[in-house]
Amino acid sequence: MKTRITAYAIGAGFILLGLWGVLTGTTNPRGWAFWFAGAVIVHDGIFVPFVLLLGALTTRVPASHRRFVQATLLVGGAVTLVALPMVLGFGQRADNPSILPLAYGRNLIIVLSVIAVVAVVWTALARHRKRSDDPR
Amino acid sequence: MVRRAEPLTPSYVPRFKSRLHDERVAAWLGIWLGVAFTSAFVTGLISHFMQQPPGWLMWPSRPVNLYRVTQGLHVIGGLATIPLLLAKMWTVYPRLFQWPPVRSVGHAVERALIFVLVGAALFQVVTGLLNISYWYAFPFFFTSAHYWTAYILVGALVIHVVNKWPKVHRTVMKHPEDGLNRRGFLLGVAAASGTVAVTMVGEAFSPLAKVALLAPRRPGVGPQGVPVNRSAYAAGVSLAAANDPAWRLQVTGRVQRELSFSLEELQALPSHSARLPIACVEGWSAGATWQGIRLRDLLHMAGVAEDARVRLISMEVRGIFRTSWVSSRHWHDPLTLLALSVNGETLDLDHGFPCRLIAPNRPGVHQTKWVRQVIVV
Ligand code: HEM
Repeated sequence: MKTRITAYAIGAGFILLGLWGVLTGTTNPRGWAFWFAGAVIVHDGIFVPFVLLLGALTTRVPASHRRFVQATLLVGGAVTLVALPMVLGFGQRADNPSILPLAYGRNLIIVLSVIAVVAVVWTALARHRKRSDDPR
Repeated sequence: MVRRAEPLTPSYVPRFKSRLHDERVAAWLGIWLGVAFTSAFVTGLISHFMQQPPGWLMWPSRPVNLYRVTQGLHVIGGLATIPLLLAKMWTVYPRLFQWPPVRSVGHAVERALIFVLVGAALFQVVTGLLNISYWYAFPFFFTSAHYWTAYILVGALVIHVVNKWPKVHRTVMKHPEDGLNRRGFLLGVAAASGTVAVTMVGEAFSPLAKVALLAPRRPGVGPQGVPVNRSAYAAGVSLAAANDPAWRLQVTGRVQRELSFSLEELQALPSHSARLPIACVEGWSAGATWQGIRLRDLLHMAGVAEDARVRLISMEVRGIFRTSWVSSRHWHDPLTLLALSVNGETLDLDHGFPCRLIAPNRPGVHQTKWVRQVIVV
């Protein structure tokens, strides 16, 4: 119980320190609060429902291909999300071509293709293993 | 009998059918995230205190690549954390709709703290990702907002870990694995993190540069094969100003004799070469061979106290990185140079022509370019 209370106190202390810092040490606390809460709202209200919908759609895929589709969407979707700011390229600057120098759209397609190929091989191997494990 | 991990969906909420919305998946992802966030916090603080060291703190100038590794770990590790974070929140999403929404004051506080945890975690990864892709979509200065939010995140994380530890212990440590389905999901999440890491890490680890298909930087791409963070244009330094024959490098302040050198005079001084990386706060880094005068030699010529601190002033007209501090440990290091050339060529204007600082184990923003004055204090 004592360690628990100590840990709560440490946690609360860090949170208060951070809040104090945001209020006194950042350039725009209001904008900060907007992004902080906005991130949760967009995530919980739009992003996850969209992912759940996609997930539900994958249950319509024939069982033989379902695993492949789910694995590809999971890995490919996450990678696409992280790569999106690079692909959109809003950060490019005329005075500095060493920033975002690559063809990110093309590169993302390459990466997604590799993911799909790996997913095919992986799910096929898994199915093969399962079949040979079958005691029949 | 083996107890099954409890599903997170109350049985009267029929919508979440996947077995993956369960305690054990949440616990495993939670452990991974705990490690990832702790690593981000520690490496982030290292970056912060390297840039703004409190008076008592003296960073060593070695190992040469220390900051390169910690900041690379921070940024590339942080990006690899994004799939983990999203998977975790997908797994526990049904809990958002628990009924009744609050059962007691304690429960209300716990839920409020979950909001803080989720908000802070999303805030850190979103602002971090936007920042390294140079997309300044947010209405605040990145560094201070990201710095202070880190404390909020870690505070909420400590409380969360304490609250959930018994469950983690029960589901992960005591129970055997009870389903391939779950293992497949966790493998998929790990694969997503791994793919992000592999397609990014080459921006800091140049042997893998060719595989860094999605990284915002590519070692080798830039003037003289070295990427640039702030161009001369962005810093307001014109070629005419840098080429001005009246340009002098001055050594002033608490010195026995003030010094002033034209570019030709600098070129005539004993020159040394050093293989050092530019290690950017944004996580990328690239090694290069620099050639120039040891800062140590210059300061000894001027006659300074052994423990003096040194301030470098750039020709930049604006920006917070117009000046930087060099601690005595750093200027004593024989690898710390005022470089005049890189990879065998006179510095490009974007690399700080006529003269720039390059020192080991130091964030790129403090490798001051276009140096015109060395002030000893
Ligand atoms: C996608 C994930 C992340 C990315 C891309 C990222 C990126 C960055 C960058 C680029 C900096 C350097 C800022 C500068 O000096 O200009 C930084 C600093 C920092 N980061 Fe992160 N970060 C991420 C996640 C996190 C997380 C999860 C935490 C907290 C646990 C964290 C805590 C910090 C701290 C404390 C600093 C030091 C800020 C300062 O110098 O004042 N970061 N991060």
